[in-house]
Amino acid sequence: MFSHLMTTSHQMTTQQIIIMDYRITHKTKYLYEEPSSLSYNEARLAPRTFKHRLFNQTCLSSELVVEPTWSDQRERVDFFGNSVYYFTIRQPHEKTIITATSEVRVESTETFRSKEPLAQLHQIAPHSPPWEQVRSHLQNRLEPELLEARQFTLNSPMITVFPELAAYATPSFTPARPILEAIGDLMGRIFHDFDFVPGATTIATPLSEVLQERRGVCQDFAHFMLACVRSQGLAARYISGYIETLPPPGKEKLVGADASHAWCAVYVPELGWIDFDPTNNLIPQEQHITLTWGRDFSDVTPLKGVFFSNGEHILRVSVDVSRVLPPEKAAD
Amino acid sequence: MNKTIEVARSPILSGYTPELDTYDEMWVRKGHVKHHWQGFVQAIENLGPEELERSHQELRRLLRENGVTYNVHGDPQGLQRPWALDLIPFIISQKDWQVIEKGMIQRAHLLNLILADIYGPRKLITQGKLPLELVFNHAGFLRQCDGVQTASAPQLIIYAADLARGPDKRMWVLADRTQAPSGAGYALENRTVMARVLRGMFRDGQIYRLSNFFKELRSALADLIPERKSSPRIVVLTPGPHNETYFEHAYLASYLGYSLVQGEDLTVREGHVWLKSLEGLQQVDVILRRVDDSFCDPLELREDSRLGVAGLLEVARRQNVAIANPLGSGVLENPGLMPFLPGLAKHFLNEDLILPSAASWWCGQPKELEYVLQNIDKLLIKRIFRQAQIRSIFGPQLSKKALQTLRDQIKAQPQFYVGQELVSFSTTPSLINGKFEARHAVLRSFLVGHNQTYTVMPGGLTRSALEKRNVVVSNWAGGISKDTWVLTSQPQKHTSLWLEASRIESAFKSSQFLPSRAAENLFWVGRYAERAEGTARLIRTTLNYFGDDDVIGDEIEAECLRQLLRALTQVTMTYPGFVGEDGAKRLAFPVSELLSVTLDSHRSGSLTANLRGMTRAAYAVRDLWSTDSWRVIDGLDVPWRLLEQESHADLGQVQQEINRLITTLMAFAGLNTESMTHEAGWLLLDIGRRLERGLLTIAFIRSMLGFHYEQSVQHLLLETVLITTENVITYRRRYRSYLQAQTVLDLLFLDETNPRSLAYQLNTLQAHIAKLPRERIAYRLSEEERLILEASTLLRLSDTMALAQTVNDSNVRQNLDEFMGHLSSLLSQISEVITRSYFSHAQISHQLITIQPELLADSLNQIA
Repeated sequence: MFSHLMTTSHQMTTQQIIIMDYRITHKTKYLYEEPSSLSYNEARLAPRTFKHRLFNQTCLSSELVVEPTWSDQRERVDFFGNSVYYFTIRQPHEKTIITATSEVRVESTETFRSKEPLAQLHQIAPHSPPWEQVRSHLQNRLEPELLEARQFTLNSPMITVFPELAAYATPSFTPARPILEAIGDLMGRIFHDFDFVPGATTIATPLSEVLQERRGVCQDFAHFMLACVRSQGLAARYISGYIETLPPPGKEKLVGADASHAWCAVYVPELGWIDFDPTNNLIPQEQHITLTWGRDFSDVTPLKGVFFSNGEHILRVSVDVSRVLPPEKAAD
Repeated sequence: MNKTIEVARSPILSGYTPELDTYDEMWVRKGHVKHHWQGFVQAIENLGPEELERSHQELRRLLRENGVTYNVHGDPQGLQRPWALDLIPFIISQKDWQVIEKGMIQRAHLLNLILADIYGPRKLITQGKLPLELVFNHAGFLRQCDGVQTASAPQLIIYAADLARGPDKRMWVLADRTQAPSGAGYALENRTVMARVLRGMFRDGQIYRLSNFFKELRSALADLIPERKSSPRIVVLTPGPHNETYFEHAYLASYLGYSLVQGEDLTVREGHVWLKSLEGLQQVDVILRRVDDSFCDPLELREDSRLGVAGLLEVARRQNVAIANPLGSGVLENPGLMPFLPGLAKHFLNEDLILPSAASWWCGQPKELEYVLQNIDKLLIKRIFRQAQIRSIFGPQLSKKALQTLRDQIKAQPQFYVGQELVSFSTTPSLINGKFEARHAVLRSFLVGHNQTYTVMPGGLTRSALEKRNVVVSNWAGGISKDTWVLTSQPQKHTSLWLEASRIESAFKSSQFLPSRAAENLFWVGRYAERAEGTARLIRTTLNYFGDDDVIGDEIEAECLRQLLRALTQVTMTYPGFVGEDGAKRLAFPVSELLSVTLDSHRSGSLTANLRGMTRAAYAVRDLWSTDSWRVIDGLDVPWRLLEQESHADLGQVQQEINRLITTLMAFAGLNTESMTHEAGWLLLDIGRRLERGLLTIAFIRSMLGFHYEQSVQHLLLETVLITTENVITYRRRYRSYLQAQTVLDLLFLDETNPRSLAYQLNTLQAHIAKLPRERIAYRLSEEERLILEASTLLRLSDTMALAQTVNDSNVRQNLDEFMGHLSSLLSQISEVITRSYFSHAQISHQLITIQPELLADSLNQIA
């Protein structure tokens, strides 16, 4: 695999800009108890291209390989701008292997002086507008950008705001507090109040239970935080992606040791969407690779499908994120 | 103003007292009715009370015979509500109609423009003409359908609105139905029945006919095909027999000449939709759907749906199939849209709404929310989207406490609620106990959109409340439906040619493309019907041994009865019964076990379980039966359900019913043979029947003649076998009174001219199987052909004399037993092979599991 050869990091700091190139291999295996002869699938595994306030991302290449090979395939862009691969498999098969390989460039646009999220937020916008003003703009104004963000203030298939949740969020939203400060404070509270416990929850675990147990995985952290933001009438969306992980000192990085990650983003007028990673209590920049976004996980399930078979099936996923040397011209 | 007409003091109208504060459709003042009611009222008076009652009876009989039902047929309690139709129609004057027609067309046009915008540029939202929350919070706003449009305009092929007349005499719109409106089929059935019962009134030709509407629907659907093909394949997609309006789906499919299919009948391959038919996959061009849009595709829409077709939305996106109405059109079924419609009508059309909507307040706006909370006890509270089990709430019916709870609910999620003024809508006469009484009524009006033009059904489905002053009108609440007459001064021509052609009662539509599921159901109708008949015959013979007071005759008869009871257990496979554990005890006191095998429908193998299996399978292919055939099937098990529920049912009652049942079942078999075209569907029905009769005969003979009894018992057993299998007369004629096992076997096994013999069943099976559609590989026989050839040859080569012999001094006819075992297994294999080759939907669909994104714990610390 590529990643073995490319473990040397390449990092350049020129005029406060860091450019990172990644190669991501996301492999999903479905193993069927009984052969399946027919399946319909949708993959959201191609990283997006965009420019944000704190970093820009460019998807340099993206490829999806399906074994056994598909009989029908089509690519489209969904309601939220994510690219979707539809494919069907129509031959008897006992397993399906879907390998998505992408190359992504992430450029940070801000060098933080501090490691503290609140200080970082202060650095990019010392005077962000009071959160109530943002709420009012979202409710009343019709500028395209505000309207686009407005849909992310509403409940969504997996997120219904409820009073206890709003009550948890409220202490961060003191009157007239600048919105970035309020959100940064909220993220810090969630990070400290909740335990990250792999396997503690399933996709079906409701937020009320997450709130009560105070633990979950990154998806729960992201869902919980964006629900808190929405409970205040603000706009928040769910981000599905990857994060670069480094091996423990002195050890070689294992292939497939990386995993999908999830965080959220909050809309701030003038600045646009600012990402927040409540699982790690940090403001994402060049180490976060964005795959897709939507209202919640249900909008951006990386792979879903219907298959016809008489038996059950199991799933294996491995993700590998590795750095790639950027082309020479990035150095100037 | 309409002229008012004085009518004679009539007993029918006496006591007609409309409420003072509501408008009445007919009434002017005592002795006076409105002009457009005059003809009808006089005609009813001319009928006289007796004739009126007779007409009413006939109407109910016709509805019953046509099997018109509203709610769940396959209900475990066997509850089904017959369709209730009032003899008094809802009559609309020509002048009023012109307004309704224009208003419906305007509203449909407007809704089409809104729909195209919602799934297109969404300018209404960006320009602030529609609040984003009103659309985006609606469960019917399917983001997956964004940009998916049918090639044709308008998008809405069928549109329906519920209308009611307010105190100001104008028609108001109470609700819009835009995704899969129901009721047009019921309206047609109502009209068909009324036109038969009140023939004379239609003869004058002053009432608009409905046929043109359905003609227009047919051409609208035919024109939806992306590349106009000469013979488009159109199917009606139904959720299945458990849906409350399944009758209508079957009725419309049959009337329009389309295949009635369920989700599992369709499959998506290489970007097209295909019908899984007996003859292989057939491409489908247009789907008239009665499945709610979110249930139509488990891949992209609701994952838990078992009613849809995986990949359907993607095919629609490529415009390789047209769906009427398009997926996503449910977004318009939103009472919160109503307050915005006048503004949108101005915006798009520069017109005022011809039909006003009931005054509505969407709680997503502060002022409106305040108004609704203040006036909640006077309003109808609706959610912006309909959900199962959640009905609209009538404020005036709530207690103070319930009102407060409702207020809190609304305040928690105001964007989901709408308050609607309770329109004090008009009353119209209903026939109650032979007299006219005033009832509130709502008209559902239907429209077809086709090539930028709209056709409104000149009529519709009117529903009126059951009780006086009740304003809740719905089928769930037990309302009564009415035919809707639109009067015209232009004489209406007699039924159009097209309508005539489609009404020709062919017992069975062309099975050219019979869905595999339908084929399988027909096969099981055949098997269950035959099994029920065989079981009934066996029970009847058994009952003949019981004299009055259940006394049994001499020891010979007693011995024979015991063998017969054991045979009953073995043939019906209701073990342990008279054979297994405690069999001896039951043989000594057989009545309760006998009643159980007859009446306990929860017991697999019982007579009533078979009847229920048969009606269930028949109902699943409701569209394929002629009216006559359905009349036989429908109601077949009613007396048996009653008997089953009776705590003290006795053998005498069973005996009375059983003869009638056998005759009915034979009539059903005869009807099928005589009136179904002998194509694939019928072949499978008859294959099921023949297989079952073969298997039953084998099981019965194996049990009755497997053991050689002493002469007198033996004679009685042989006679019983002949009686049960309907062979006694043939036997006497052929062999006189000389009774022995070998000749009985000759007649029952080998006589190819005897329709009850095994040879006859196998010959018929062989002929039918040869005709089944299949792809022939060189000259090789298919598996089922090989099996039937083997069974048939085995039977022909058999030596009945050897079979009748006992072996090695035992009393067991071992040769016979082995021979029968072999034949039986061959027949069972044929059934399995046919199931596998022709009804192939054995595989179950699954959702692929997904996992949560999850960081590995130990790598967390390593993040920079």
